[in-house]
Amino acid sequence: MTDTAGTQQSSVPVPPSDAAIASLLDSLDISAESNVIGVLQAIQDRLGYLPPPALADLSRRMRIPLSRIWGVVSFYAQFYTEPRGRHTVRVCRGTACHVKGAGRVLDAVQRELDIEEGEMTPDLMFQLETVACLGTCFLAPAMMIDNQYFGKLTPQSVQSILRSFRAEHA
Amino acid sequence: MKRLESVSDLKALKRDLASAPKPDATIRVCSTGCRALGALDVCDALEAEITKRNLAGRVRVARVGCHGLCAGAVAVVIDPEGFFYQGVTAADAADIIETTVLGGEVIDRLCRSVDGAPVPLQKDIPFYKHQMRRVLRNCGVVDPTRLEDAIGRGAYGAAAEALTSKTPERVIEEVTASGLRGRGGAGFPTGRKWQFARRAPGDEKYIICNADEGDPGAFMDRALLEGDPHLVIEGMIVGAFAIGAARGVIYVRAEYPIAIEHTEIALVQAREAGLLGDNILGTGLDFRIEIRKGAGAFVCGEETALIASVEGERGMPRPRPPFPATSGLYSRPTNINNVETWANVPRVLELGAEAYAEVGTEGSKGTKIFALAGKVNNTGLVEVPMGTTLREIVFEIGGGIPRGRRFKAAQMGGPSGGCVPARYLDLAIDYDSVKEIGAIMGSGGLVVMDEATCMVDIARFFTEFCQKESCGKCLPCRVGTKRMLEILERICRGQGEMEDIDRLVELGEMIQEASLCGLGQTAPNPVLSTIRHFRDEYEAHIKEKRCPSHACEALAPVSCASACPAHVNVPEYVALIAEGRFAGALEVVRRRNPFPSVCGRACHHPCELFCRRGDLDDPVAIRTLKRFLCDQEDEVPEPPLRWRGRRHGRVAVIGSGPAGLTAAYFLALAGRDVTVFEALDVVGGMLAVAIPKYRLPSDVLEHDIAYIRRAGVHIVTGRRINSLRELRDEGFDAIFLATGAHQGGSLGVPGQDLEGVLDALAFLRQVCLGELTQMKGRVVVIGGGNSAIDSARAALRLGADPVTILYRRTADEMPATRDEIEDAALEGVQFLFLNTVQAVHGDGRVRAVTCIKMELGNADESGRRRPIPVPGSEHTIETDWVIAAVGQYPDLKFVADDDRVIVSGGRLQIDSATLRTDGGDVFAGGDVVTGDPVTVRAEGPHVFAGGDAVTGPATIIDAIAAGQRAAMAIDRFLGGKGELPLDHGWAAPCKPDEAEAARPRHRVEALPLFKRKGSFEEVIGGYSRGDACAEARRCLRCDLE
Repeated sequence: MTDTAGTQQSSVPVPPSDAAIASLLDSLDISAESNVIGVLQAIQDRLGYLPPPALADLSRRMRIPLSRIWGVVSFYAQFYTEPRGRHTVRVCRGTACHVKGAGRVLDAVQRELDIEEGEMTPDLMFQLETVACLGTCFLAPAMMIDNQYFGKLTPQSVQSILRSFRAEHA
Repeated sequence: MKRLESVSDLKALKRDLASAPKPDATIRVCSTGCRALGALDVCDALEAEITKRNLAGRVRVARVGCHGLCAGAVAVVIDPEGFFYQGVTAADAADIIETTVLGGEVIDRLCRSVDGAPVPLQKDIPFYKHQMRRVLRNCGVVDPTRLEDAIGRGAYGAAAEALTSKTPERVIEEVTASGLRGRGGAGFPTGRKWQFARRAPGDEKYIICNADEGDPGAFMDRALLEGDPHLVIEGMIVGAFAIGAARGVIYVRAEYPIAIEHTEIALVQAREAGLLGDNILGTGLDFRIEIRKGAGAFVCGEETALIASVEGERGMPRPRPPFPATSGLYSRPTNINNVETWANVPRVLELGAEAYAEVGTEGSKGTKIFALAGKVNNTGLVEVPMGTTLREIVFEIGGGIPRGRRFKAAQMGGPSGGCVPARYLDLAIDYDSVKEIGAIMGSGGLVVMDEATCMVDIARFFTEFCQKESCGKCLPCRVGTKRMLEILERICRGQGEMEDIDRLVELGEMIQEASLCGLGQTAPNPVLSTIRHFRDEYEAHIKEKRCPSHACEALAPVSCASACPAHVNVPEYVALIAEGRFAGALEVVRRRNPFPSVCGRACHHPCELFCRRGDLDDPVAIRTLKRFLCDQEDEVPEPPLRWRGRRHGRVAVIGSGPAGLTAAYFLALAGRDVTVFEALDVVGGMLAVAIPKYRLPSDVLEHDIAYIRRAGVHIVTGRRINSLRELRDEGFDAIFLATGAHQGGSLGVPGQDLEGVLDALAFLRQVCLGELTQMKGRVVVIGGGNSAIDSARAALRLGADPVTILYRRTADEMPATRDEIEDAALEGVQFLFLNTVQAVHGDGRVRAVTCIKMELGNADESGRRRPIPVPGSEHTIETDWVIAAVGQYPDLKFVADDDRVIVSGGRLQIDSATLRTDGGDVFAGGDVVTGDPVTVRAEGPHVFAGGDAVTGPATIIDAIAAGQRAAMAIDRFLGGKGELPLDHGWAAPCKPDEAEAARPRHRVEALPLFKRKGSFEEVIGGYSRGDACAEARRCLRCDLE
């Protein structure tokens, strides 16, 4: 494989094959009685998102219309139907963070990653999101990268946090 | 753990745990909230140190839940002594083991300090002293992942007792009698709710723990599940027994990974120990709990939406009735309570209903946990009795507002709640009192807001939140919140209209009435409550296109420049200082303010109060930088913008204070022929005759005045204008009245006319003019403003001793500048707070004053506590002088006979009728705001007024701003454009280097105390070139964002 091919491959996420989806769903022991949200959370935990073919397959297995599953998926903020960056940056926009300058922090994150809220960096490294409240108001303004919290942020510190995170996880 | 087959097994286990050998020391590290700041590294480092020193078994590291004082993260408590350490890092581990655990010594640097002294013991810290930690009793004490820890502290004891010795009815009776109300928001009585579910027909019933804590700003449920999950489980067991439910669900937000983890562990442990599952403790009760993770929808906090979500559906609410108590989860009778409510249940049974209800108010019993956040020093979790005042929570427990800013309001109840303004600081908080003033208790989120928080922006923020979270089922909420948001966004951009306020109220009330569920019914609350309490802020955005809190991006893009009344382009000139371009920097200042030397010393610098850098460490020393620029300028330069021709229009300015001279300066730059008339022989108004030289040396003032003269301003001294007609006859086309407020207020008590009773302004004038050079004996200064401080410090320098300031409130309420008060105290001025004068005694000459002590009552409109005389507390102080600094008023006798000039309340009044009808052509265009009371014409088409004569005593920079606006209005009146010179575009657009920006604020030298007595030498020093450039590089350059 040439270098160019390698680069290309890493910049385009490969959707899971139908067979991979089927075996995942097999392992979840799905029946008509299963809890839709629980199953969707399980699928997303494994795949990082909910590929539409998986939803179609799920609809068949649970014997409920695909429209109902889409209804649930599109209702909740935490379900994604498109692939996402490997690490999720969640910038808190809660009240306490807001009054302490979360807007500027978000601007700084967007500038540093060169993406908007809801987007993924081209190298698939980061997914940028905002969240209503992380419940860590004493850290305001705060953000999380995956399950790790960062608090008392400034536009300057955000830059160095993201750069060192990228260096550590490259 | 071995399965507990009976209640006696549980009791035996508790006994065994109590008698088990205890470690010599237990180090309790908050490993939940503090994880964000490296708590787990601290634990690892401590454990490594313990292993290294072979202390395993003797010293235990407990990974506990939240200690509450989140501002002190990483927070650590060391038992048995109860030391509280804050800001602990892994690097402190060895020291903690060596010094404290082994040596028994306190490490001062890790202690929380109160008034500069370290407070080692947790129970002595004010944050804890004023709390009643009932529900949070074990939070921060037990390791939430160890059931033994919880049982050792009494967990499951109340449930075991209820299951064996009480009937379900009895339990419900007790919960009802305790007065416990739902802690999730609405405050519905818990006992009654349980009764409904118990009486509902059906064999299969459910109970749900609502842990979908979605209110931004609330985190007590998270802390309880993270720090003491067994307490919540125990409450649910009691509820299951009372209601007759066999299954329970904990519905928790997916955003709370640690809460989920700890709850899952606790459930497994409880099952294994026989505390959940079949035949709990051999009592025959079967009860299982499962966890359901939310998937991110605020509306799921509403009970019917939550039930839909637990069932795996979209979380949309449905109309009630039927209520969940009769038809809830899977259409079975269901009882929902939130985490904090469940956590209160074991406490009700442990204490007994009566003892539980002893705490609280008439309608709200027990304690309430508040999540204290926002602009407050001690952020964290606070548990207080119902009925505690906001002042106690924010100031005594919360430690007040950072940066010396003023408390503006507290937002209670998140997006469904409202704000509680300063005048309710002394209101006893409970469900009902809060509701009365338009807020709600909600789940207990309490976000503190200060003067830099814009209430319109807050309303916009919450409306945006509700709009995004609206599930879309019913139209009033879905569309109504959207329309409200659009209006609010418009107002925040400065594009609102006055009718918008009425539209918001109308829409809001309609949405409240017509929405299906609680989300919509409460969504307008933040808007309606901010309109109710802060209508003036809405109006400022709409009418004046101004954000009074300097927070709205569109109206205040750079907060320091916006906070400066004269709008000096601070980041521009600070950046030029960083580049070493000092002359250019000074020129930028002078394009808005002709008094850089004066303001570099005597300005109260609102710019620094709003400097964003201050949120990080200290604000940029903007005032000192400005002073540095002037210190660099040896000679008065030719103003580069000086007008070289001649233009139509002769303007007379009455008064040579900052307002008058500023107006004259800008008019001169615009080519107008300006003459300033000054009644005294000295130029400068208050600057020359009220500010003592140790604060503002004469040559400094003269430097600025010389510059203004070089700009083309002609100043006539020693000429008092007795009537406006005089000037009209001399051919002036426009007149600007800027006569200031030079008359002192009188004490209004018997004996006020005795010899030796001085008016502060008259006294300061004599001192400034060198007419009074010494003062012997004792001096009492009455008042709390800057004139009082100036008088006291001046008297001290003249030789008076002792000098005592008598003020009717306390230091906290003093209007004088903080550093002036501190300097006065340092120099030996004594303060007698909470005292007011009743009479002055003497025969011919003053000999004593009679005072009465005061106490502070409830908050006034501004939130300051009202002084109330204490009957019978009169006492006498002997003194040789009394200086009254109790108010300043304009002397407007010269316009008294001019009936077209309106004088009211002792101030020059604006003619609002003129303003409304034909004010438009005078004020149209430019950036002058229509309706600005300071520049409105006071009489006829050509008389303008501004400064203290209109506003009453204000600050130097306010007067400069008034002069600036007057100049623009007058220039437009004379046919000009009324524009100020360009003030930006020279500095390089460089963001600060991170290392440079990390530096602390550069300090300045002050004159040693021994040199201050008997001398009016300047007290505060300036910067060197190196310091100034480095300080300027601390600027975060918000203007580039």
